[in-house]
Amino acid sequence: MARRALSGRAKRFLWRGAVIVILSFGGTIAACARPPDALTVVLALLPGELAPYREIVADFERATGREVVIVPQQYPDIRRALAAEAAAGAGTLDLVELDVYSLAPAAAQVARLDPADLGGEVEALEFETVQAGTIDGLRFLPHRVSWQALVYDHEVLGQPPETWEELLDVARAHPGKIGLKGALYEGLTCDVLPFVWSAGGSGARLDDAGAKAAFAFFAELAPYLDPRSAVFKEASIAEAMARGELVLHLNWPFVMSLYASEGLAPDRFRAAPLPRGPKGRATVLGGGYLAVPLNAPHREDAMRLARFLLSHSVQERFASELGWFSARRDISVGGGDPLLAGYAAMREVVRPRPERVDYPAISRQWQRAFRRVAFDRLAPAEVLREGQAVLGKTDPAEKVSG
Amino acid sequence: MRPWFLAVPLVAYLAVFLVYPMGEALALAFRDSVSGDFPSFASFRTIEDDGLFWRALVVNIVLPALAVLLELVCGLGLALLLSGRLPARRFLRAAVLLPFALPEIVFLTVVRHLVTPRGYVNGALASLGVDPIDMLAPGTAAAFLSVTLADVWRTTPIVFLILLGALAAIPVELLQAARVDGGSGWRRFWHVTLPLLRPAIVAAVLLRGLDALRIFAAPLVLTGVEGVPVLSTYAYHQWADYGDDGAAAATSLVLAALCLGASLPLLRHRESA
Repeated sequence: MARRALSGRAKRFLWRGAVIVILSFGGTIAACARPPDALTVVLALLPGELAPYREIVADFERATGREVVIVPQQYPDIRRALAAEAAAGAGTLDLVELDVYSLAPAAAQVARLDPADLGGEVEALEFETVQAGTIDGLRFLPHRVSWQALVYDHEVLGQPPETWEELLDVARAHPGKIGLKGALYEGLTCDVLPFVWSAGGSGARLDDAGAKAAFAFFAELAPYLDPRSAVFKEASIAEAMARGELVLHLNWPFVMSLYASEGLAPDRFRAAPLPRGPKGRATVLGGGYLAVPLNAPHREDAMRLARFLLSHSVQERFASELGWFSARRDISVGGGDPLLAGYAAMREVVRPRPERVDYPAISRQWQRAFRRVAFDRLAPAEVLREGQAVLGKTDPAEKVSG
Repeated sequence: MRPWFLAVPLVAYLAVFLVYPMGEALALAFRDSVSGDFPSFASFRTIEDDGLFWRALVVNIVLPALAVLLELVCGLGLALLLSGRLPARRFLRAAVLLPFALPEIVFLTVVRHLVTPRGYVNGALASLGVDPIDMLAPGTAAAFLSVTLADVWRTTPIVFLILLGALAAIPVELLQAARVDGGSGWRRFWHVTLPLLRPAIVAAVLLRGLDALRIFAAPLVLTGVEGVPVLSTYAYHQWADYGDDGAAAATSLVLAALCLGASLPLLRHRESA
């Protein structure tokens, strides 16, 4: 086949095109480059939270003259970025926010913090929240905390169930209208652990007496669960309740704001403490923790920013402007808002998940065990024994936090 | 400037966005995500121990097979119907193509509104005095059928277009000759039309068969990961819900092997056709 040379015009066109592409690419890179002295902070902010957060941080920028670049990301992506920088041995991130349940696996990738660098801010925090961030030394600081409460249909139920027995009565009276977040993900563990703890279980072993009592209760509750519980997550279960398909479920505080915006709360849907089990009440600590990556380029300034973010005035602004719960004891939950009264009542019984490097494996076993009992209707004792066998002979005292 | 230089951007693009990620995925699948050991089968052992993976594997074979069969039947029927001189033929052809023209997420949202417990289908059934059916109940045959039919509805237009084009290419003289010889409508279809359509049918099965194995959005949007699991949604679940990149990559590798295993006999068949 004869080869045809490109015409001079085509050549000029291609060269000009190539130059334009290269210049555009270079310009984009240059425009996106960070100022070398800027602090880079990666947080799991929702789009609506970014602008108020930037305004709050602007006070820090004015006071220190240090620019702060806030990068909103999702928790899994922040974890991946942190792991990548740790593996590379170099980094650009100065301060990151991690989901509380991923702290133990990420502990080796972040710096140990000196509480003295944070002034008196650490002493002002709830002890349990600091403990959750203490893994071989203090490594994570509670940026914001959260926990679940019972969300119920006040018009249908009148009063929320106070105990497990009352919860079972509600389930029998409203079969198929009780929902739990039973999809295979961390949210299911957050629904399971409060029951295990309320029965005296440790949460770290599947075969202790508390776990057995909780799962025996799940087996009784199972016939009355909405079958879609097998796929429910936070948003889908909240939507099902908004459509009137459920009379109660467990969820995080965001759901009350959602219902209030739709005119469904507080008249119809209200939040209440989780039902009391044989050993009391409990709920899982959630939220975001700040950490300084091992390879943070501006570690000292990152600590100054962390101290600023944990200060009373800033945490109060987070609570009032963003609706976040604070780990500081001197800031009330929800500012007395009746919409969040059920959450405020749970503050004293918030517990962190087992702080162990193998927590993800334990969590998976809780999820599988619940699904086998609730949806496959298998015998709880057998399921729990098998789940614990998969985990192996791990010592429950093998806690990695110090 | 040499002409091969024009191919450089494409080759570079493929190297960066296809070859490199595939290599990384292979490395991820064979690396122990806890200890970092390489090579390791730890990720494969993780998925092997998970009942959901095996359910996903079975569904990933049965669902595409059923979907392609139904698409072939529906696509052929529609092509035969709409290749004739029907009134409003153009409108009907556009109506058949509409689900494929819509963005997948839009189409699936519409389907979801149809088949949810309080959706339009159950509304229609209720008006007829029939009890509602939970067509998306996790792990049920009803959910499996809902996902299959949604996929069939959306992708039948591909088969329809291939077969419509092939039908148009069949010489009219052959069909007229068969008619003159006294062949009935069924015999003309069976002995003339269908044999001439065979290459197009094989092409449609090859194209849709491989595409159907990669099904992702329909089961995820309609039923969630656990409702009607397939390999791609299972991989997504491992990545998004557990952050286990290794298990996700191992699952993707199984899916790639499945696609490769299915494509070889189909390609051989196509060459013979």
